[in-house]
Amino acid sequence: MISRRPSIFIYTHEADADFLREIRAGIEEENVASEVFEKDGQDVDELAYDAAADSMMGSGIGISGEDVAMQMRGRRSGENVSRLHMPTYAQCRIIGSNSARVIKKQSLRDL
Amino acid sequence: MSIVAGVDIGNSTTEVCIGDYGQDRHVRFLSSASVKTTGTKGTLSNIHGILSALKEAMGRIGRDVSEIDLVRLNEAAPVIGDTAMETLTETIITDSSMIGHNPSTPAGAGQAAGELLSFDNLSRGQAGTPYIVFVDVQHGYDEVARRINEVAKSLQIVGIILQADEAVLVENRLDHKIPIVDEVKRIDKIPDGRMAAIEVALPGQFIRMLSNPYGIATLLHLNAEETKTVTPIARSLIGNRSAVVIKTPNGDVRENVLPAGDIFLQATHPTRIPLDEGADKIMQAVSDAGEIYDVTGQENTNVGNMLNRIRRGMSEVSGEADGEIHITDILAVDTLAPVLISGALAGETCLEKAVGIAAMVRTQQLPMRQIAAKLSETLSTRATVAGVEAVMASLGALTTPGTKLPLAILDMGGGSTDAAIIHENGTVDLTHQAGAGELVSMLIQTELGLENRYMAEQIKRYPLAKVESLFHMRMENGEMHFVQESLDPRFYGRVVLLTEAGLVRVEKDIPMERIREIRREAKRKVFLTNAKRALRTVAPDHNLKNISNVVLVGGSAADFEIPEMLMEEFTQYGIVCGRGNIRGTEGPRNAVATGLVLSYGGEMQ
Repeated sequence: MISRRPSIFIYTHEADADFLREIRAGIEEENVASEVFEKDGQDVDELAYDAAADSMMGSGIGISGEDVAMQMRGRRSGENVSRLHMPTYAQCRIIGSNSARVIKKQSLRDL
Repeated sequence: MSIVAGVDIGNSTTEVCIGDYGQDRHVRFLSSASVKTTGTKGTLSNIHGILSALKEAMGRIGRDVSEIDLVRLNEAAPVIGDTAMETLTETIITDSSMIGHNPSTPAGAGQAAGELLSFDNLSRGQAGTPYIVFVDVQHGYDEVARRINEVAKSLQIVGIILQADEAVLVENRLDHKIPIVDEVKRIDKIPDGRMAAIEVALPGQFIRMLSNPYGIATLLHLNAEETKTVTPIARSLIGNRSAVVIKTPNGDVRENVLPAGDIFLQATHPTRIPLDEGADKIMQAVSDAGEIYDVTGQENTNVGNMLNRIRRGMSEVSGEADGEIHITDILAVDTLAPVLISGALAGETCLEKAVGIAAMVRTQQLPMRQIAAKLSETLSTRATVAGVEAVMASLGALTTPGTKLPLAILDMGGGSTDAAIIHENGTVDLTHQAGAGELVSMLIQTELGLENRYMAEQIKRYPLAKVESLFHMRMENGEMHFVQESLDPRFYGRVVLLTEAGLVRVEKDIPMERIREIRREAKRKVFLTNAKRALRTVAPDHNLKNISNVVLVGGSAADFEIPEMLMEEFTQYGIVCGRGNIRGTEGPRNAVATGLVLSYGGEMQ
């Protein structure tokens, strides 16, 4: 399903609930909408790549278990903007914030 | 035939030119090279740089350094320059009494006044009193929103100050919308129980009440005397999206004007001029003073300290005692410096008036002969010191296609701006003025509030662009540039410098237009002022209209915009002015080294 709503897509596969919550908080603080879709694939690179490709705004996040990756449309699969295993909550917020800042054409924060 | 090498040791680069004198005594230029000067100009440590430059130049034509028959060094101008900056005004807040910053995402909009109440003491609040609640980072957005919604039934909460970056998260969960300021680092400094006013601007707008002294007076019920004392606060809050002003008992905010002091010009016509008269008045005094023997400042004042600092720095470089150092020229420039307000809670800065000064000192002759002797020993060849730098530069500049005598050159380097005019009869008039590239770097660093000089130098040197997507950027001239391969996301949304080595990002979040404006203004202030000052000194009858040709040489002539600025300026005097192109191939570099090789031919005859 491809929604036309301008939002960040988050593709998950058995995502860590705390990571997902903190990432969404990071996005919300930037005043941007996000949508979560559970997927069958486990590869976090693919999840992030597909999320960015499908998001109307070209910004996506993949979460597979405890792996988190952020992508922008136009970059190749695996060439993530950032990818972390077991991020801290603060890092989750920054990843969320960065995916929103991509849409607002603002510079990204350092992780 | 004999191979002659001209070597020019500059403050920042060492340049060589290799020429071959044939049987007919005509020179053929073979090669040239430029390397970074090793050590301070005029010291023995320059040898390393000279050797590597010679090796590079000879290597280019497949020859060895041992084939050089003669090395000619420049008689370097015995002047060194230095710069210093001092702020003239200072805003001090003795008790923490304001927050004014631009968190990227404040929430709500509007203004309110109320008593400050810590989140931990919410239960102590009393009905009927308006409160502004402040919350430290320990409390998450869920908890804050839930508690505020609870107590709002009995208490009047009019605003929230957060330490964490969660203003929008809290606002989205509140039943009643109120202004929220977040990312306040020094939340521990906020005094419980004081009156405060809070304001958040609408999206795309700036605050209006708290950047207006009468607005603060209205919200905090100030009298005329108190209103006067909050004026510096209002001024420093201009242009912010959110702010908090806290009322403190005794008007603890004051604007402190440091004693700027007087500059004493010991000259043909001795003059005394107060520093805070501004750069224009100071420069007028300098030009009216005639020949300047020394410049000093009033003891224990800003300018006194500044000139002493320069004197000390110069004595370290030249190895002469402090008392022996005579400042023979200064260039003063007005500037604004963002200075951290002491006592502010979120790292706020205030633009303070400042003045930058470049000074020039005449030293004893630099020990060039020692360098020549050492070089001769190392290379087992002849090495001599030949000719005055400015004369050599003029000779070199004359190899620029389209020039003729009389010719004026403007050599804009790092420390000083030098001008020389070579007349038809071969005589040369020359002058050295304080202030050049280093002063420009200092102005850029100061006005942009950069932490290090290196970044300021990069900004001075390269044009800017803003990366607008992974596949395109907007150049500072408005042009769009598209790339095939995705750019590194680290550059996304950033202002970058277009250097030879690729993109360099400007760490500080300053709009591209502002950086460009400051860069160009700094160059104008220093180079336009100095170019006119220097040329007027050497011009016949000190009239610029008596000069027909000006060739720009030296490091700053290679700059991407300075020559054009000067060209525009000099058009009104009917002067042909442009970047030199030494030997038609070298651009504005290598003038002195080329002159050194050429003058050998003259000496033989």
